[in-house]
Amino acid sequence: MSDMRLPIVEATPLLRANGLVKRFGGVVATDKVSLTVARGEVLGIIGPNGAGKSTLIGLLGGALTPSEGTVEFDGVDVSGWQAAERARRGIGRTYQIPRPFLDMTVRENLLAARFSLHPFDPRARAHEACDRILERTGLADAAHLSARALPLLRRKRLEVARALALNPKLLLLDEVGAGLVDAEVSELIELIQSLRRDVEGIVIIEHVLRVVRECCERLVVLNFGRTLAQGLTADVLASDEVAAVYLGTAQDRSKSPPAADKSTVAAPVANALSALVTQSPTRADTHPLLELRDIHAGYGQARVLNGVDLTVRAGQVIAILGTNGAGKTTLAKVISGAIRPTAGQMRVDGADVTRSPAHEIARLGLSQCMEGRRIFATLSVEENLLLAARGIAAPERAQRLDHVYALFHDLKERRSISGTSMSGGQQQMLAIGRALMSRPRLVLFDEISLGLAPVVMDRLYDALAELRRAGLTMLIVEQDVERALALADEVHVMEHGRIALSGTARAIRDDPRLRHLYIGTAD
Amino acid sequence: MPNLEVVANSLLSGFLLGGVLALTALGLSIALGVMRLVNLAHGELLVGGAYLGYYLLRYTGIDPIAGLLLVGMAMAVLALPFQRLLIAPLVGKGMEAPMITMFGVSVILQNLYLLAFSADTRAIDTPYAASAVHLGPITVPEIYLIGFAVSVLLVVGVHLLVSRTAFGRELRASSYDADAAAAMGVDVKRVHALTFALGAACAAMGGVLLGTAFSFTPGSGGTYLLISFAVVVLGGIGNIFGTLVAGIALGLLQSLGAVVFGDGYRDLVGLVLFLLALALRPQGITGSGAR
Amino acid sequence: MSVTLKQTALQSAAPQWQARWLALPLAFAVLAGLAPMLSDYALEIGFRILLLVTLAEAWNLLAGYGGLVSLGTAAFFGIGAYALTGLVNKLGAPLAVALPLAGVCSALLALAVSRAVFRLRGLYFTVGTLALAEATRLFMINYNGFGGATGLFLSQDPPGLRALYLIALGLLAFTTAVMTVATRSRFSILLRAVRDDEDAAAQIGVRPFRIKLIVFVLASFLMGVAGALQGLKLGAIEPYGMFGIQWTVNVLSIVIIGGQGLRAGPLVGAIFVVGLSELLADYPAVHLALTGVILIIVIRFAPQGLVGLVQAWLAVKAQEAS
Repeated sequence: MSDMRLPIVEATPLLRANGLVKRFGGVVATDKVSLTVARGEVLGIIGPNGAGKSTLIGLLGGALTPSEGTVEFDGVDVSGWQAAERARRGIGRTYQIPRPFLDMTVRENLLAARFSLHPFDPRARAHEACDRILERTGLADAAHLSARALPLLRRKRLEVARALALNPKLLLLDEVGAGLVDAEVSELIELIQSLRRDVEGIVIIEHVLRVVRECCERLVVLNFGRTLAQGLTADVLASDEVAAVYLGTAQDRSKSPPAADKSTVAAPVANALSALVTQSPTRADTHPLLELRDIHAGYGQARVLNGVDLTVRAGQVIAILGTNGAGKTTLAKVISGAIRPTAGQMRVDGADVTRSPAHEIARLGLSQCMEGRRIFATLSVEENLLLAARGIAAPERAQRLDHVYALFHDLKERRSISGTSMSGGQQQMLAIGRALMSRPRLVLFDEISLGLAPVVMDRLYDALAELRRAGLTMLIVEQDVERALALADEVHVMEHGRIALSGTARAIRDDPRLRHLYIGTAD
Repeated sequence: MPNLEVVANSLLSGFLLGGVLALTALGLSIALGVMRLVNLAHGELLVGGAYLGYYLLRYTGIDPIAGLLLVGMAMAVLALPFQRLLIAPLVGKGMEAPMITMFGVSVILQNLYLLAFSADTRAIDTPYAASAVHLGPITVPEIYLIGFAVSVLLVVGVHLLVSRTAFGRELRASSYDADAAAAMGVDVKRVHALTFALGAACAAMGGVLLGTAFSFTPGSGGTYLLISFAVVVLGGIGNIFGTLVAGIALGLLQSLGAVVFGDGYRDLVGLVLFLLALALRPQGITGSGAR
Repeated sequence: MSVTLKQTALQSAAPQWQARWLALPLAFAVLAGLAPMLSDYALEIGFRILLLVTLAEAWNLLAGYGGLVSLGTAAFFGIGAYALTGLVNKLGAPLAVALPLAGVCSALLALAVSRAVFRLRGLYFTVGTLALAEATRLFMINYNGFGGATGLFLSQDPPGLRALYLIALGLLAFTTAVMTVATRSRFSILLRAVRDDEDAAAQIGVRPFRIKLIVFVLASFLMGVAGALQGLKLGAIEPYGMFGIQWTVNVLSIVIIGGQGLRAGPLVGAIFVVGLSELLADYPAVHLALTGVILIIVIRFAPQGLVGLVQAWLAVKAQEAS
């Protein structure tokens, strides 16, 4: 690698990653990633959720040490250096979910960074420097406020400000744009452009393509922990391959018949499905299966859901779409009972379950495939399934087990191994099987396509189509717009914790507002 | 240098005793693994079991080891309201609050024992408590053999409970991912309560065995707590088989320490090993303990 | 919420001379001046309270401000006592030298174990310190080089009660000064950063290990000197009294009951605990049990301690008034 002739034209790159690999147990999160950041450059890293972007930033910033490969900063190998050392050396980093020091004021947050580098700085000078940065990042009026009092957006600004307090040479920005409206994105872009004067290089991980397009010179596209493409921004964004991976499936679905129309189903599978799905009587005057009225919910200070109304009737297939930060996952958590709403009402079959704990809601027949799958690693595949059929008599349980195995052969072959030692797609099958074991009346599928290859997603969505035909009521929270639209009857699009757009799948597909609302995947 | 027979006796005794240590540590391990609870009152539960066994013998004449399950169940029943009142309300407030609460419970129990039973040293006096068994040239106290056998049986029993039954599934799922378990219909609060009760029962039963083999006072709990912790950390938190192995290993090493340095150093050896284990390998010898 | 804002706003303001800064030094001066007028009993109680507040402040620094909940107070306390005895008996050191040096010995112990205990987070750290305390106690009981179970006698006669009271007062004054610097200076910002979010702190260049070490060494130094003072007063030391769990229990109770992470907490807590123990002086077991009960109640219903309760009550009153 070392060249005896000193390079005349190129100076040492500010940052160079060589063949980075990161393994967590059996999972390879980062698979031989190499990239460079030249001085004065803004590099963007994009890719679908689960592609390994945050792991990569952790490797660059020092929160994680690589299993293989090296990181060179300013010509020095820093691969073994901890985060604190790299920060002192000049690498600043923000977190995807802001982590300010909640019990300190905004200014103190910055002072912490400053004092770590200049412990003996005269107070006046330190305050001045911090105030300048607060000014730049639009937080000058909040200097005395406790960080805990800041809303989510201002916490993001604080993240950037705090990283700047270190006088970094390189800035790593982790999804700073998530959840911002158009006007705020413009402000953010302005800020990032202005930062180019202060630092020698910026790496931006983003979903919001507008930020990427207007700030980054070059892009790296990650998928499954590997680099899919690298190059100039315009070139990368124009690439079909990148579009396919990022948007979920090929845009033009006229080539393959939509999964929902498939009519050839093996008989045992059809039997299995009808045995696992509870048919609800479809009298018109029954209560809706699930009803949410004016739901507000959040985590501590952050209010995520701001008045959500939703009605689900038996047999319906409903898709919930929206950008990151729109509140899809929080909504899923409210429905499953993982968090309770701060206001509003939730009813199942007309009965009020607003205050019910998660396990009671599950026992009412509402199952879910949780985001991230949440398979129990300390239980075998079969035990994972059996757990879901708790309280059911053994013979009935064994029958249901057979039905699930009929649906997913892969699981049967692996019934005795740990639930997590299978591929991502197989684990997702297990999650679906688990949800079915309790003979649910409604299943919530929360982002099941995360981190899965299109081919695997095809199989999963075929299974979902079968379930739909068997009459299962389904709520699908999805990132992949096309697949969701192909499967669902009704669609709701969320923005800022409310449902901004509703309608039939067909109507929504052609609605221009969908593109506008769904920031992050469309041009 | 003591002669070979003494050393062999010592090692065998240590080995057998280790089984009992494993039983007592088991309760601590599953409480920690499932509920993330640092039960600083564990030693007092153990001593409480010893007192239960003592008075059971005195007032009913029932041999405490025959009535071991009785003592276990009694302690489990007593422990349930403790958990409901003191620990359950603190869920979600961090690990500090329940730990300090259990510390308070430990202080209360110690002094309650003092007030109720006086500071007298007691021992559960059964016919086999003092007799010895001769296996060729080696002699071991009979109670050690009995204690070992009973402990291993109970440990295996708990292992089967955790690995084969529906409750065991719920327990393991709750300890791995409580939210996901709740989403699947598991009443995690109930699992926690029963786990705590199970842990208390194990501690109490171990206490009966130790109270027969050795003497005990209201203040004996402290050292047993730390020895149990040593076993838990060495064996890996929540790892039942590991706890058995670690218990036996610790028993052996403690006896070795007693032979080399003198009997008073027995517990010290255990603690030093504990500190070393914490510093060097917090995830346990077998490496499969959850952190 | 408004209480937090007030506190943090105060701390961020550039320091201007304030009259209330005189309050503490004045208080100390008064307490010192009272010494000749106090009865022996009052001096005894005073000494106990002063020592306990010192220990509690040190523990508060470690646990309340540093986030390191230690159950090993007894270890550093006891080492201080034994170190003093050794320095006086074997080296004939004058008190002015021996007392601080004893503290240094405790600090050295802290330094020695720091690498091991700081690898542990949260509960492991706490249990580790508990094991450390117990291990030192057992070692001292069994190792005859330091007197074993019977302990050692101080070869000098201890100074009079009044002198001891004044020395304890001086120690507390020093401790208070240290606490003030540690909690108001820029160091406190770094400390709180590490306590609140160690990883985020590392990401902005703070070195958590170093910060924790400084606090640990400081706290153990103070505990060591306190232990040395206790040893000095008793004139005879033995492992059960010096390394006993009661020191850990008392300090923990004082800080929790008074209020963690609050400056006034240890004082209020100490007065409460000593008052309680005097009330129940004839029933030591009941006293301890009752302390345990109060501890549990406070943790459950008033986690901010008595001082926290008062502060909250005052804040409510202030809001009502405005």
